[in-house]
Amino acid sequence: MDISYIFVICLMALCSGGSSLSQVEGKQKSGRGRGSMWWGIAKVGEPNNITPIMYMDPAIHSTLRRKQRRLVRDNPGVLGALVKGANLAISECQHQFRNRRWNCSTRNFSRGKNLFGKIVDRGCRETSFIYAITSAAVTHSIARACSEGTIESCTCDYSHQSRSPQANHQAGSVAGVRDWEWGGCSDNIGFGFKFSREFVDTGERGRNLREKMNLHNNEAGRAHVQAEMRQECKCHGMSGSCTVKTCWMRLANFRVIGDNLKARFDGATRVQVTNSLRATNALAPVSPNAAGSNSVSSNGLIIPQSGLVYGEEEERMLNDHMPDILLENSHPISKIHHPNMPSPNSLPQAGQRGGRNGRRQGRKHNRYHFQLNPHNPEHKPPGSKDLVYLEPSPSFCEKNLRQGILGTHGRQCNETSLGVDGCGLMCCGRGYRRDEVVVVERCACTFHWCCEVKCKLCRTKKVIYTCL
Amino acid sequence: MSGTILENLSGRKLSILVATLLLCQVLCFLLGGLYAPLPAGHVTVLGSLCREDHARQNDTGFLLYSRGAGACIPVTREEVEQDSTKMANELVHVFQMPLPRDLRDLDYSRWQQNLIGVLQVEFGYDSSSELREPPRELQLTIDMRLAYRNKGDPDNGWKLYAHGVEHRYLDCVTSHVGPTETLYSCDMIPLFELGALHHSFYLLNLRFPLDTPSQMNLQFGHMHDLTLTAIHQNGGFTQIWLLLKTMLFPFVVGIMIWFWRRVHLLQRSPALLEYMLIYLGAALTFLNLPLEYLSLVYEMPYMLLLSDIRQGIFYAMLLTFWLVFAGEHMLIQDAPNKSTIRSRYWKHLSAVVVGCISLFVFDICERGVQLRNPFYSIWTTPLGAKVAMTFIVLAGVSAAIYFLFLCYMIWKVFRNIGDKRTSLPSMSQARRLHYEGLIYRFKFLMLATLVCAALTVAGFIMGQMAEGQWDWNDNVAIQPTSAFLTGVYGMWNIYIFALLILYAPSHKQWPAMHHSDETTQSNENIVASAASEEIEFSHLPSDSNPSEISSLTSFTRKVAFD
Repeated sequence: MDISYIFVICLMALCSGGSSLSQVEGKQKSGRGRGSMWWGIAKVGEPNNITPIMYMDPAIHSTLRRKQRRLVRDNPGVLGALVKGANLAISECQHQFRNRRWNCSTRNFSRGKNLFGKIVDRGCRETSFIYAITSAAVTHSIARACSEGTIESCTCDYSHQSRSPQANHQAGSVAGVRDWEWGGCSDNIGFGFKFSREFVDTGERGRNLREKMNLHNNEAGRAHVQAEMRQECKCHGMSGSCTVKTCWMRLANFRVIGDNLKARFDGATRVQVTNSLRATNALAPVSPNAAGSNSVSSNGLIIPQSGLVYGEEEERMLNDHMPDILLENSHPISKIHHPNMPSPNSLPQAGQRGGRNGRRQGRKHNRYHFQLNPHNPEHKPPGSKDLVYLEPSPSFCEKNLRQGILGTHGRQCNETSLGVDGCGLMCCGRGYRRDEVVVVERCACTFHWCCEVKCKLCRTKKVIYTCL
Repeated sequence: MSGTILENLSGRKLSILVATLLLCQVLCFLLGGLYAPLPAGHVTVLGSLCREDHARQNDTGFLLYSRGAGACIPVTREEVEQDSTKMANELVHVFQMPLPRDLRDLDYSRWQQNLIGVLQVEFGYDSSSELREPPRELQLTIDMRLAYRNKGDPDNGWKLYAHGVEHRYLDCVTSHVGPTETLYSCDMIPLFELGALHHSFYLLNLRFPLDTPSQMNLQFGHMHDLTLTAIHQNGGFTQIWLLLKTMLFPFVVGIMIWFWRRVHLLQRSPALLEYMLIYLGAALTFLNLPLEYLSLVYEMPYMLLLSDIRQGIFYAMLLTFWLVFAGEHMLIQDAPNKSTIRSRYWKHLSAVVVGCISLFVFDICERGVQLRNPFYSIWTTPLGAKVAMTFIVLAGVSAAIYFLFLCYMIWKVFRNIGDKRTSLPSMSQARRLHYEGLIYRFKFLMLATLVCAALTVAGFIMGQMAEGQWDWNDNVAIQPTSAFLTGVYGMWNIYIFALLILYAPSHKQWPAMHHSDETTQSNENIVASAASEEIEFSHLPSDSNPSEISSLTSFTRKVAFD
């Protein structure tokens, strides 16, 4: 994997997009997830619309930030993938949460409002899941769209350096075609990661804790996509022997990623308001045993120092936003070759992180470059795949429109279950109603090739329990 | 065989020659490591779903494509789920290769030589349904249509290349058990192999016909993603490879002509080993012949088969040569008459013949049939896989027998050498020199062969272990697989080149040799001829007039230096 190329590409993308970043949008409250407005494109255009969705569309204009619009404009076909990705995230979220009090409901999209409602304003567990799943879905869906051939700007990264070391991408696509003929193209997955970083993380500069939480969760979503990739190989040497072997990465089904994220949701870490930056000078390399009770004392050491660095970093963030993304971009790519990483909670992972840090010493500002501390010092610090949140979730029982909570009135529940989907918990003790309905479905289909399908209509009785 | 160049070469000349050849070897390795890209590239294409009209389903000229003017409008999974019959028997999975990159429509170049397609299938069952573990060897029936289009053709100008309804057996494992759906991912299935990548664009249409009367494809739940990986040889690798072949070809041909002329200058018919060397050179020349240039102009789907056959012939020749070489250096000859392959070695070589024939039959069954039907693969049916395995096991067993036998022969030669060593001091000088020459030749080849074999094995292992490229530093990266391939290819070329030079008869013996029957290796003859010249030997000429030295004298000198 040629990292230097990714740098070049990002540099190009950022040179065009970076200028808009220095513009500070004063309107938005700092507590809010600033980068989350783009979720609205899920409702802007249905992905299967015959007319292609244009980036000039006013609805899109109001949904996307300037840099995001530029990315969409520069990458034809990416908008369809983003719409698909956002819808994928919503349907996966609703699937994962169908049995919980909060069922990932979305509001009818209207301008300037958040798609998931005001729940996003709180830094609770549910919000962390939304951020992670949307960022994962964008990664997944962009990578898929590249393999489907619907995005034309997916990059062809394998260029053998001794062949064309000077071939920067300004020289354009002639070099790209030659690279393709010479050495083929890389997997599309790297492009998905790169694009997701640039698109999803646009508004999050990591300046306050909430933005750090969002960044962390976005990264966690992507890390889950990455961790579920599998390598496949095919031998095709002489008579099919393994003297020549070709390997490639395969994306997992998004359901798998959704399930994993849901498991992380259940074990999410609440992080503290005081956070220590893992800046270079404060870096007592994250030793594996810092995970345990040790962390209390080390916190005390780090905080005063890091406060200083923090301010420094904030200033830099505003001035030059570019390089920090560039630096970090090498990370998903370089990890692609190790799809079976140990779980991030495990200690070796912590060590690995430390190692990565050490390698990047000297590159001071990096918005992905922070460590959040658990609220309860007895707990382990969150790993790269863990979800983090800031405040406890509301109960979601009663309707509270000011907080964007719909309540569980009218929700279906499971009478026999003792879990959250059981009628006792779901209806918050208000009681429930029993209804019998007749469902008509096609069943017992017979097929004939070619080209006939005959089905019967079956009526089945179903009992439905609904919360009062 | 009598005096060869190897024995007559001074230590200095020999070391210069060996050093030059080693340098060439390193150059071959670096050519692949530094300049060549990975040997093969791939394009991973996710199938687009198209809905088709029933009326045209049996019309094989009707092809659906996903990009370009007149492309089908893909349906989404949600639409399929919402459809009352889930669009059964109406869906076509469309794969169009290659994919666009960097805002450009890429096309295949003829330098990319061949295309191999494998398909990965993912499907799911509702977790509630009883069928949790899908049966092993799930049969999938696929209607496949492969089409091509050339640069400059209109977007809808697809022409059918091959059509077939094939069965594939899936081995699936549960990849994920979710609360509502259990997902299965299956081993990849070989889909097609094209020996000639002659056209610019390829298109694959897959249909999974559902049929109740014949129980076709009914066991599958929801088909999820279908991913096609199309593997091609990299154009850069082909260029480097052909460059290597083109460079090596004239050298080997030249040295063969030189060798053969040298043999014919002798007043005798060529010995068996000389025949073997020239056959080996011929096999190598056939392998080196850069036929691939023709594939840039003509469509040659048999190239994959041909290159397998060429390699097979070469390896068979190499193995035969080793065996004959060991046999000819037995020192104690059973029969005094001149040995031929037929008279002495047919039993020894039966293992090589059996192994090669079984591999050849396997290759004909796989790649030969693919010439007619690119979707065919012997591995796809359980019976075919067993037959293929039988051939491969047979070849493996023959290889094992061959190597055991070769080891036995080498051990015998060494034992003989040991026997002779003890009696060497008591021999007449000429006779002693003759034996010492044989021993030296044999040991030299043993050493060279062992080094080459060890390097091949080590290179192979390193090529398998290394993932991606090795970064020397920021500027230099070594591509281990390509380096291994070019390095090994160059190494066997150099090995045979060196054999042809070093085992060519030495002209230094001409003035001394008057016996045309020298080659019969009859010991008496040698002793007689040497005895008549024994007086000359005792007065060793200096280095300055080497033309007078016979093979045996030079060897004495060498021994003296040692």
